[in-house]
Amino acid sequence: MVNVWRFMNIVFLIALWIYQDPPLVSFLFVISLAIIVCLRWRFRLPSWTIIIDLILCFLFIPLWGSSAYGLALPVYEMMSRQKYRFLIVVILLIALFELYSIVLLWLLFQAGTFGVWDASSKKQRERYITEADRERHARQALENVKEELLKSNRKTAQLAEVSERNRIARDLHDHVGHDLTGANLALEAYEQLEGREAEAMLNEVKLRVARSTAMLRDTVHDMTPVTRIGVDVLEHIAKEFIHTSVSFQRSGDMKLVPAHYWGLLEPCLKEALTNVARHSDATEVNVNLDVTTYLVRLSIQDNGTESKHLGEGSGIRNLKVRARANGGSVTVNTVNGYQVVCVLPLEEDKR
Amino acid sequence: MTIFRFALKRILRDKTNVLFLTLFPIAAIFLPTAEDGWPLLPLGYQYFGILLLFVSIRLTSIMIEDRQKGVVKRLAAAPVSHFNYLWQNLLAFSVIMIIQIIIIISGGYAYGHELYEPWNLTILYLVFMFTAISISLAWNSLYRSKESSFLIFMAVIVLMALLGGILFPVEMMPVVFERIAVIFPTYWLSEGIEWIVFGEDRGDFLFINGVLLLYALFFLIIGSIRRIS
Repeated sequence: MVNVWRFMNIVFLIALWIYQDPPLVSFLFVISLAIIVCLRWRFRLPSWTIIIDLILCFLFIPLWGSSAYGLALPVYEMMSRQKYRFLIVVILLIALFELYSIVLLWLLFQAGTFGVWDASSKKQRERYITEADRERHARQALENVKEELLKSNRKTAQLAEVSERNRIARDLHDHVGHDLTGANLALEAYEQLEGREAEAMLNEVKLRVARSTAMLRDTVHDMTPVTRIGVDVLEHIAKEFIHTSVSFQRSGDMKLVPAHYWGLLEPCLKEALTNVARHSDATEVNVNLDVTTYLVRLSIQDNGTESKHLGEGSGIRNLKVRARANGGSVTVNTVNGYQVVCVLPLEEDKR
Repeated sequence: MTIFRFALKRILRDKTNVLFLTLFPIAAIFLPTAEDGWPLLPLGYQYFGILLLFVSIRLTSIMIEDRQKGVVKRLAAAPVSHFNYLWQNLLAFSVIMIIQIIIIISGGYAYGHELYEPWNLTILYLVFMFTAISISLAWNSLYRSKESSFLIFMAVIVLMALLGGILFPVEMMPVVFERIAVIFPTYWLSEGIEWIVFGEDRGDFLFINGVLLLYALFFLIIGSIRRIS
């Protein structure tokens, strides 16, 4: 836009030159200004180049009075670059050559105003851009943190599993293992002994076996969780859902599913059932959980007809992100009722 | 200088180009001198400016071709700056046109034409040649296909020659047109030719060449813009 204005100024000067019939030399002024305008269009010239415009005006105003109209260009430049000290030169030129034409002064004022407006709009644009950049950065950082969190969640689950396994192994080794080995040795000794010594040895064996049985019971008791875990949670949620009848079917070996997957399957089922309760007119919900050697698939299908126009809520979107972080996916299908399918891959070492 | 050499080879590979580039200046030498006092120089020399414009648009069209074929796009990815590509191509065009100018001046001198000041005429043609190249460069930067650029520029050349006072004297036109003529570079060429014939103030000749060079610079700045697609 600015360049159109600049070139229009040149066209105006050419027209004026043709109309007024000044000496031929003054045509140099028009061409030189045109070259500077062209350079400003192509490159970002430094501010001192305004001096060139002013010198050209200074040289040619005595030859052709209307060269003063060319001052509009440097006035615009100095205002848009906020180099106000050059204004003194313009005022000096006006005073020196007694350019007190109202039209000229009005034109210069317009050019200056245009320059100020351009500078302010440029500044505003820059501010918007930096703000947009900052927002984009923040959003990206947030996404990264989310991803990291999901990853560390997975890691923690694996770590917990490993440490729990270690604890069990340690308990079995330290208590049950020692006692059983002792009992075994005592039994071997018992075969070689006779009389009272043998009886004492047998009692020792009994004691050790009883102790290790108690210890084993304790360990197993420690390991059995009080709260529901795994597939039981899903079944429990399905059973407790009172809004519609929910049928829950499962197939495959549930032990293959890593612990942290339940943390995703559970909110998935909850979200789907909540959606049914809140938005759907469904009367029946089928929940299928299939575990194969390669993947876990949870499908929640209802027979509703009203939920087709529903968009994706933030719940489903969040689940999608979490599933993606685990290498799986959550998809929504609205062809027959409303169906949410969550597919998660099983890792190599789990198979 | 690979681009320069390649540009030369490309131009000279085309047989019609070679014919066009050599035959026309040679033919121009043999055009007669006007009998009624205008044009001042032999016809071939008066119209040589038009020929320079035609040749320059023909030569610079290989740069449009580069754009059409995607060469410019590949160059943008190659370790060659746009500036390098530009100046080496322009140098190749200039070399060819300088040879044409040498042919026509030396040929005319040998043929026995009255050229008044052959050296100054050479300088004038050289300066106008730069203007012609940069005008066609700027013109080409507006177009995507070389055919449409060439065809429309032909009309522009005729217009410039008519209004600029090459085909007939500016003084014959209405006063307004006489003033408008000044904005065409061809006007300055015919002024230059007039100066060479009547040769008065040396400053005038410098002024004429100065204006032509400023025009060359102006169009060069416009034409040097890099258009990839």
